[in-house]
Amino acid sequence: MRRGTEIDRLYDSHAQPLYAFLLSLTRNEADTRDLLQDIFVKLSREPHLLDGVRDERAFLIRLAHNATIDLIRRRGSRERTKDRFAAEIISPFAPCDEPDGRFFRDELSAALVELPPDQRAVVHLKLWEGLTFEAIAEVLEISPNTAASRYRYGLDKLRERLRPLYEEIK
Amino acid sequence: MDDFEQRLKRQPLRQLPADWREGILAAAKAVEPADHRSRTAHPSFLSTLNHQLSTLLWPHPKAWAGLAAVWIVIVTMNMSMRESAPAVMAKKASPPSSEMMAELKQQRLMYAQLIGGGDQPADRPKFFPMPRSGRVGMMMT
Repeated sequence: MRRGTEIDRLYDSHAQPLYAFLLSLTRNEADTRDLLQDIFVKLSREPHLLDGVRDERAFLIRLAHNATIDLIRRRGSRERTKDRFAAEIISPFAPCDEPDGRFFRDELSAALVELPPDQRAVVHLKLWEGLTFEAIAEVLEISPNTAASRYRYGLDKLRERLRPLYEEIK
Repeated sequence: MDDFEQRLKRQPLRQLPADWREGILAAAKAVEPADHRSRTAHPSFLSTLNHQLSTLLWPHPKAWAGLAAVWIVIVTMNMSMRESAPAVMAKKASPPSSEMMAELKQQRLMYAQLIGGGDQPADRPKFFPMPRSGRVGMMMT
Protein backbone atom coordinates (compact mmCIF):
# COMPACT_ATOMS: atom_id res chain seq x y z
CA MET A 1 0.00 0.00 0.00
CA ARG A 2 2.80 2.40 0.98
CA ARG A 3 4.68 1.49 -2.19
CA GLY A 4 1.62 2.37 -4.27
CA THR A 5 1.21 5.70 -2.52
CA GLU A 6 4.88 6.49 -3.05
CA ILE A 7 4.64 5.75 -6.76
CA ASP A 8 1.57 8.02 -6.98
CA ARG A 9 3.49 10.80 -5.28
CA LEU A 10 6.49 10.39 -7.57
CA TYR A 11 4.26 10.44 -10.63
CA ASP A 12 2.37 13.55 -9.55
CA SER A 13 5.58 15.35 -8.65
CA HIS A 14 7.80 14.46 -11.59
CA ALA A 15 5.88 12.96 -14.51
CA GLN A 16 5.22 16.29 -16.26
CA PRO A 17 8.86 17.46 -16.50
CA LEU A 18 9.97 13.92 -17.36
CA TYR A 19 7.37 13.82 -20.13
CA ALA A 20 8.56 17.14 -21.54
CA PHE A 21 12.20 16.06 -21.43
CA LEU A 22 11.51 12.68 -23.03
CA LEU A 23 9.32 14.24 -25.72
CA SER A 24 12.03 16.79 -26.45
CA LEU A 25 14.53 13.98 -26.99
CA THR A 26 12.40 11.40 -28.80
CA ARG A 27 9.82 13.68 -30.49
CA ASN A 28 7.58 10.67 -30.54
CA GLU A 29 4.61 10.29 -28.24
CA ALA A 30 4.49 6.46 -28.20
CA ASP A 31 8.20 6.23 -27.35
CA THR A 32 7.77 8.88 -24.68
CA ARG A 33 4.94 6.95 -23.07
CA ASP A 34 6.90 3.69 -23.14
CA LEU A 35 9.95 5.31 -21.60
CA LEU A 36 7.91 7.10 -18.95
CA GLN A 37 6.21 3.83 -18.02
CA ASP A 38 9.57 2.03 -17.92
CA ILE A 39 10.86 4.60 -15.44
CA PHE A 40 7.92 4.16 -13.06
CA VAL A 41 8.01 0.37 -13.40
CA LYS A 42 11.69 0.51 -12.48
CA LEU A 43 10.92 2.70 -9.48
CA SER A 44 8.24 0.27 -8.37
CA ARG A 45 10.46 -2.78 -8.87
CA GLU A 46 13.35 -1.17 -6.99
CA PRO A 47 11.70 0.75 -4.15
CA HIS A 48 15.05 1.63 -2.57
CA LEU A 49 16.39 3.23 -5.75
CA LEU A 50 15.73 6.71 -4.39
CA ASP A 51 17.10 6.03 -0.91
CA GLY A 52 19.71 8.63 -0.10
CA VAL A 53 19.07 10.62 -3.28
CA ARG A 54 19.33 14.36 -2.58
CA ASP A 55 17.52 15.61 -5.68
CA GLU A 56 14.76 13.29 -6.89
CA ARG A 57 14.07 15.33 -10.01
CA ALA A 58 17.69 15.30 -11.13
CA PHE A 59 17.94 11.56 -10.47
CA LEU A 60 14.77 10.84 -12.46
CA ILE A 61 15.90 13.02 -15.36
CA ARG A 62 19.12 11.05 -15.42
CA LEU A 63 17.10 7.81 -15.57
CA ALA A 64 15.04 9.27 -18.41
CA HIS A 65 18.14 10.37 -20.30
CA ASN A 66 19.80 6.97 -19.94
CA ALA A 67 16.62 5.18 -20.99
CA THR A 68 16.39 7.38 -24.10
CA ILE A 69 20.03 6.75 -25.01
CA ASP A 70 19.40 3.00 -24.62
CA LEU A 71 16.38 3.26 -26.90
CA ILE A 72 18.34 5.13 -29.54
CA ARG A 73 21.14 2.54 -29.40
CA ARG A 74 18.65 -0.32 -29.62
CA ARG A 75 17.09 1.22 -32.67
CA GLY A 76 20.41 1.43 -34.50
CA SER A 77 22.32 4.37 -35.81
CA ARG A 78 21.62 7.91 -34.72
CA GLU A 79 20.88 9.03 -38.25
CA ARG A 80 18.21 6.36 -38.74
CA THR A 81 16.59 7.31 -35.46
CA LYS A 82 16.73 10.97 -36.35
CA ASP A 83 15.02 10.25 -39.67
CA ARG A 84 12.37 8.24 -37.90
CA PHE A 85 11.80 10.97 -35.34
CA ALA A 86 11.66 13.57 -38.08
CA ALA A 87 9.01 11.56 -39.88
CA GLU A 88 6.78 11.48 -36.79
CA ILE A 89 7.73 14.80 -35.32
CA ILE A 90 5.66 16.03 -32.40
CA SER A 91 6.22 19.46 -30.98
CA PRO A 92 7.24 19.55 -27.32
CA PHE A 93 5.39 22.85 -26.99
CA ALA A 94 1.79 23.51 -26.06
CA PRO A 95 -0.55 24.42 -28.92
CA CYS A 96 -1.00 28.12 -29.50
CA ASP A 97 -4.07 29.93 -30.87
CA GLU A 98 -2.24 33.08 -31.87
CA PRO A 99 -0.79 32.72 -35.41
CA ASP A 100 2.60 34.39 -34.82
CA GLY A 101 3.12 32.50 -31.62
CA ARG A 102 2.12 29.20 -33.24
CA PHE A 103 4.50 29.82 -36.15
CA PHE A 104 7.36 30.63 -33.82
CA ARG A 105 6.78 27.48 -31.80
CA ASP A 106 6.61 25.36 -34.92
CA GLU A 107 9.88 26.82 -36.16
CA LEU A 108 11.51 26.42 -32.76
CA SER A 109 10.34 22.80 -32.63
CA ALA A 110 11.80 22.11 -36.07
CA ALA A 111 15.06 23.84 -35.14
CA LEU A 112 15.37 21.75 -31.97
CA VAL A 113 15.01 18.54 -33.97
CA GLU A 114 18.04 19.54 -36.01
CA LEU A 115 20.22 19.74 -32.89
CA PRO A 116 22.19 16.65 -31.90
CA PRO A 117 20.49 14.90 -28.96
CA ASP A 118 23.28 15.79 -26.50
CA GLN A 119 22.92 19.51 -27.30
CA ARG A 120 19.13 19.26 -27.28
CA ALA A 121 19.18 17.67 -23.84
CA VAL A 122 21.34 20.46 -22.41
CA VAL A 123 19.28 23.22 -24.04
CA HIS A 124 16.07 21.69 -22.71
CA LEU A 125 17.38 21.29 -19.17
CA LYS A 126 18.82 24.82 -19.13
CA LEU A 127 15.88 26.66 -20.65
CA TRP A 128 12.82 24.72 -19.58
CA GLU A 129 13.99 23.00 -16.39
CA GLY A 130 16.04 25.97 -15.22
CA LEU A 131 19.00 23.82 -14.15
CA THR A 132 22.46 25.25 -13.68
CA PHE A 133 25.36 23.92 -15.73
CA GLU A 134 26.62 22.15 -12.62
CA ALA A 135 23.27 20.43 -12.17
CA ILE A 136 23.07 19.56 -15.87
CA ALA A 137 26.58 18.15 -15.69
CA GLU A 138 25.58 15.96 -12.77
CA VAL A 139 22.41 14.75 -14.47
CA LEU A 140 24.03 13.95 -17.80
CA GLU A 141 27.29 12.73 -16.24
CA ILE A 142 29.44 15.24 -18.13
CA SER A 143 31.67 18.10 -16.98
CA PRO A 144 30.14 21.56 -16.37
CA ASN A 145 32.35 22.96 -19.13
CA THR A 146 31.01 20.39 -21.57
CA ALA A 147 27.46 21.23 -20.52
CA ALA A 148 28.12 24.95 -21.05
CA SER A 149 29.74 24.45 -24.43
CA ARG A 150 26.95 22.19 -25.65
CA TYR A 151 24.45 24.81 -24.59
CA ARG A 152 26.34 27.55 -26.43
CA TYR A 153 26.63 25.50 -29.60
CA GLY A 154 22.97 24.54 -29.47
CA LEU A 155 21.78 28.05 -28.73
CA ASP A 156 23.89 29.53 -31.52
CA LYS A 157 22.29 27.13 -33.99
CA LEU A 158 18.82 28.03 -32.76
CA ARG A 159 19.62 31.72 -32.91
CA GLU A 160 20.91 31.48 -36.43
CA ARG A 161 17.94 29.46 -37.56
CA LEU A 162 15.31 31.64 -35.84
CA ARG A 163 16.92 35.08 -36.11
CA PRO A 164 14.85 36.35 -39.07
CA LEU A 165 11.64 35.23 -37.49
CA TYR A 166 12.64 36.51 -34.08
CA GLU A 167 13.62 39.93 -35.47
CA GLU A 168 10.33 40.11 -37.30
CA ILE A 169 8.06 39.37 -34.37
CA LYS A 170 10.14 41.07 -31.67
CA MET B 1 20.18 35.25 -20.30
CA ASP B 2 19.58 37.54 -23.26
CA ASP B 3 16.25 38.39 -24.89
CA PHE B 4 16.39 35.46 -27.26
CA GLU B 5 16.92 32.97 -24.45
CA GLN B 6 14.14 34.62 -22.44
CA ARG B 7 11.83 34.31 -25.41
CA LEU B 8 12.59 30.61 -25.77
CA LYS B 9 12.19 30.03 -22.07
CA ARG B 10 8.69 31.55 -22.13
CA GLN B 11 7.40 28.99 -24.62
CA PRO B 12 5.05 26.70 -22.66
CA LEU B 13 5.69 22.99 -22.94
CA ARG B 14 3.10 20.43 -23.96
CA GLN B 15 1.06 19.03 -21.09
CA LEU B 16 1.33 15.41 -20.07
CA PRO B 17 -1.82 13.58 -21.26
CA ALA B 18 -4.00 13.05 -18.20
CA ASP B 19 -5.20 9.63 -19.32
CA TRP B 20 -1.66 8.20 -19.15
CA ARG B 21 -1.61 8.37 -15.35
CA GLU B 22 -3.90 5.42 -14.73
CA GLY B 23 -2.20 3.08 -17.21
CA ILE B 24 1.35 3.90 -16.20
CA LEU B 25 0.65 3.63 -12.47
CA ALA B 26 -1.27 0.37 -12.97
CA ALA B 27 1.71 -1.09 -14.86
CA ALA B 28 4.09 0.12 -12.16
CA LYS B 29 2.01 -1.29 -9.31
CA ALA B 30 1.60 -4.62 -11.11
CA VAL B 31 5.30 -5.47 -10.75
CA GLU B 32 6.68 -6.97 -7.57
CA PRO B 33 9.63 -5.33 -5.86
CA ALA B 34 12.89 -7.06 -6.77
CA ASP B 35 13.88 -7.86 -3.16
CA HIS B 36 10.42 -9.29 -2.41
CA ARG B 37 10.58 -11.43 -5.51
CA SER B 38 13.97 -12.84 -4.57
CA ARG B 39 12.77 -13.62 -1.04
CA THR B 40 9.72 -15.51 -2.25
CA ALA B 41 11.47 -17.35 -5.08
CA HIS B 42 11.57 -21.14 -4.78
CA PRO B 43 14.93 -22.46 -3.59
CA SER B 44 16.92 -24.46 -6.09
CA PHE B 45 17.64 -28.20 -5.71
CA LEU B 46 21.28 -27.55 -4.80
CA SER B 47 20.41 -25.02 -2.12
CA THR B 48 17.85 -27.44 -0.64
CA LEU B 49 20.45 -30.23 -0.66
CA ASN B 50 23.00 -27.96 0.94
CA HIS B 51 20.52 -26.96 3.61
CA GLN B 52 19.60 -30.58 4.38
CA LEU B 53 23.24 -31.64 4.54
CA SER B 54 24.10 -28.73 6.77
CA THR B 55 21.28 -29.63 9.13
CA LEU B 56 22.38 -33.26 9.20
CA LEU B 57 26.09 -32.64 9.66
CA TRP B 58 25.93 -29.54 11.82
CA PRO B 59 26.02 -31.24 15.31
CA HIS B 60 29.53 -32.74 14.79
CA PRO B 61 30.98 -31.37 11.59
CA LYS B 62 34.59 -32.35 12.45
CA ALA B 63 33.64 -35.93 13.17
CA TRP B 64 31.80 -36.19 9.85
CA ALA B 65 34.69 -34.61 8.03
CA GLY B 66 37.15 -37.05 9.67
CA LEU B 67 34.99 -40.00 8.74
CA ALA B 68 34.75 -38.82 5.16
CA ALA B 69 38.54 -38.40 5.05
CA VAL B 70 39.10 -41.94 6.36
CA TRP B 71 36.77 -43.32 3.72
CA ILE B 72 38.57 -41.41 1.02
CA VAL B 73 41.92 -42.81 2.19
CA ILE B 74 40.55 -46.38 2.28
CA VAL B 75 39.02 -46.16 -1.17
CA THR B 76 42.17 -44.61 -2.59
CA MET B 77 44.41 -47.31 -1.10
CA ASN B 78 42.09 -50.05 -2.27
CA MET B 79 42.06 -48.78 -5.80
CA SER B 80 45.83 -48.29 -5.93
CA MET B 81 46.48 -51.83 -4.60
CA ARG B 82 44.04 -53.32 -7.05
CA GLU B 83 45.80 -51.60 -9.91
CA SER B 84 49.34 -52.53 -8.77
CA ALA B 85 48.81 -56.21 -7.76
CA PRO B 86 48.85 -57.90 -11.23
CA ALA B 87 51.88 -55.90 -12.18
CA VAL B 88 53.76 -57.15 -9.11
CA MET B 89 52.81 -60.74 -9.83
CA ALA B 90 53.82 -60.37 -13.41
CA LYS B 91 57.16 -58.92 -12.36
CA LYS B 92 57.87 -61.71 -9.89
CA ALA B 93 56.96 -64.52 -12.27
CA SER B 94 60.06 -65.89 -14.06
CA PRO B 95 60.04 -68.00 -17.22
CA PRO B 96 60.10 -71.80 -16.44
CA SER B 97 63.47 -73.49 -16.71
CA SER B 98 64.19 -76.37 -19.10
CA GLU B 99 64.35 -78.87 -16.18
CA MET B 100 60.94 -77.80 -15.00
CA MET B 101 59.58 -78.08 -18.52
CA ALA B 102 61.04 -81.61 -18.77
CA GLU B 103 59.57 -82.54 -15.38
CA LEU B 104 56.17 -81.19 -16.42
CA LYS B 105 56.35 -83.17 -19.63
CA GLN B 106 57.21 -86.32 -17.68
CA GLN B 107 54.32 -85.80 -15.28
CA ARG B 108 51.91 -85.20 -18.13
CA LEU B 109 53.07 -88.47 -19.73
CA MET B 110 52.59 -90.43 -16.49
CA TYR B 111 49.16 -88.93 -16.04
CA ALA B 112 48.21 -90.00 -19.54
CA GLN B 113 49.39 -93.56 -18.82
CA LEU B 114 47.45 -93.67 -15.55
CA ILE B 115 44.13 -92.53 -16.97
CA GLY B 116 44.54 -94.24 -20.27
CA GLY B 117 42.93 -97.77 -20.36
CA GLY B 118 45.40 -99.27 -22.94
CA ASP B 119 48.18 -100.64 -20.70
CA GLN B 120 46.11 -101.16 -17.46
CA PRO B 121 45.03 -104.80 -16.79
CA ALA B 122 41.25 -105.15 -16.92
CA ASP B 123 41.02 -107.92 -14.28
CA ARG B 124 42.87 -105.96 -11.67
CA PRO B 125 40.49 -105.40 -8.76
CA LYS B 126 39.72 -101.91 -7.97
CA PHE B 127 40.85 -100.76 -4.61
CA PHE B 128 38.17 -99.62 -2.28
CA PRO B 129 39.35 -98.44 1.12
CA MET B 130 37.84 -100.33 4.01
CA PRO B 131 37.35 -99.30 7.59
CA ARG B 132 40.26 -100.01 9.88
CA SER B 133 38.18 -102.49 11.92
CA GLY B 134 37.51 -104.47 8.75
CA ARG B 135 41.23 -104.54 7.93
CA VAL B 136 42.01 -105.86 11.41
CA GLY B 137 39.45 -108.66 10.92
CA MET B 138 41.08 -109.65 7.63
CA MET B 139 44.50 -109.86 9.26
CA MET B 140 43.14 -112.10 12.02
CA THR B 141 41.73 -114.55 9.58
